[in-house]
Amino acid sequence: MDWVSRQFPTRVIALIPIAIAINIVLGYTVQTVLKLPIYLDSIGTILVGVLAGPLAGAFTGAASNIIWQYAPGIGGGTIGPFAITAAVIGLLAGLWGYLGVYKSRPAGGPQLLLAAVVGILVIAVLAWRIYTSPVYGTDPNEGGYGSGVYAVIVGIGVVAAIAVGGFIYLRRDAAGAWVAIAGAITGIVAAIVSAPIAAYAFEGVTGSGADLIVAALRQGGADVYNASLGQGLFSDPIDKTITSFVVFIILASLSPRLIARFPLGDKIVPESA
Amino acid sequence: MAGDGSPLVSIGQSPGSPPTALPAFVARPPEGFYRSLNPTTKLVISFAEAVCAFVVRGWTGPLLVLVVVAACALLARIGRSLVPFALATIPLTISILLVNTFLYPGATDRIVSIGPLAPTWSGLAAAVQATLRVVAFALSVAVLGLTTQPDQLVGDLERRGVGRRAIFVIGSTIRMVPRMAERAAEITEAQRARALDTQGGILARVRGVLPLAGPLVFGALTDVEERTMALEARGFSAPGRRTVLRAFPDGGGERLLRWILFLGTLAIIALSVAGFLEALP
Repeated sequence: MDWVSRQFPTRVIALIPIAIAINIVLGYTVQTVLKLPIYLDSIGTILVGVLAGPLAGAFTGAASNIIWQYAPGIGGGTIGPFAITAAVIGLLAGLWGYLGVYKSRPAGGPQLLLAAVVGILVIAVLAWRIYTSPVYGTDPNEGGYGSGVYAVIVGIGVVAAIAVGGFIYLRRDAAGAWVAIAGAITGIVAAIVSAPIAAYAFEGVTGSGADLIVAALRQGGADVYNASLGQGLFSDPIDKTITSFVVFIILASLSPRLIARFPLGDKIVPESA
Repeated sequence: MAGDGSPLVSIGQSPGSPPTALPAFVARPPEGFYRSLNPTTKLVISFAEAVCAFVVRGWTGPLLVLVVVAACALLARIGRSLVPFALATIPLTISILLVNTFLYPGATDRIVSIGPLAPTWSGLAAAVQATLRVVAFALSVAVLGLTTQPDQLVGDLERRGVGRRAIFVIGSTIRMVPRMAERAAEITEAQRARALDTQGGILARVRGVLPLAGPLVFGALTDVEERTMALEARGFSAPGRRTVLRAFPDGGGERLLRWILFLGTLAIIALSVAGFLEALP
């Protein structure tokens, strides 16, 4: 019981509505106003999970989607059933918080180089997973869409690898490698949890920019579930890696005095600060 | 839509209105069979409708829920206000119809063949079912939103013993979202005035995320400290329960209805998981 109540002091209770509002407003802006094929609707969830613990994160995620669905005015069309995914994302974020993933780790020399290589490797593994995925059929006779798709995957992969490696190297902070790993794992888990929900509730189509990917995968011969999973394994790791870096930048920019007052604050603020 | 029971009605008077008008918080008690239900009953009805729409597959579930939602809407006299909510699902339903009709995995019963395009009957059937499901769900949400003031619902839930932390989170979020959306729009306009491209190609839009999200997030997070102090100063973490003075009408019949809906929904989920509902059309 103590473990539960320690995750919900007044400070966290004051943070959760703001986190939920950040989720909803940023998600709405990115998906509806900017129309990108990513979601960016879990920054608040991951923030609370990392600062307060798994239960607080899971609660924030689930409450975000349910309130978003029922919110007057901007009520999301399909967001409600994905509350389960959001809760899992928050749960994982709490785990990363306990493990100290988001703690700044100033490094230099070979250590920094190793971290940058690890970050780039994470991106490479993700890109490889997409590259070799059987759902991206390449035989145009079977409805595939040619080898052009591989060029796109390689292109995105290279850009992402440079971004992550550069981020780690320029900030001289080895934590970036851990953040990339945590974001990638969160994304893969989120995709695996989301796919059955999307397939069961919405026949795999959710009205966002990601529907184009679903359509392309079905053109390539994937069934409803696998098309959703393929889309998720494309969008979610990218989305969650970006989100994790955003949270990392937010935490690094906030004053350590502010962060240290949260339940897991001591796992984020570096000892020297 | 204002004055229609819409939850977007602003509290307090607008500056231009005549002084003789009643302030908005003196709301007329809801009338009619559906509107006068206890807020929690309406919430339970809405959840039951949502679960039925998704869990009962095929045509039965979505159509049944649509009929119930339509009946509730007629009883509450909000048929016309539902139209914008139905229209709002169009982008999603078009996407569902197109993708499934033309690209339904494993379907071979073509309607016509137009070059590479091969719409199929089974794809069309699955698409229409999914569309009905989405519309039924959206309207069940809309009926709840149009007939129930969020603060009344939250107040009633607190009276029923939901913890004050959960109540604060729900109530505070509902008030925070419109304020934050306003702030996001302000920031968007401010950045646009500084030549941020929010309507160009995909790269331009990606570049637009940071200048929008940054000020929004940091502005909100600096508020946490103040809100914590304000809550603590008002005894938020003090032991004991808060007394809720406001009571909402509730009767034995409604309590029975809620239990029936709750247990019935659980039964439907169990039947669906066990595969007994597959015989339904």
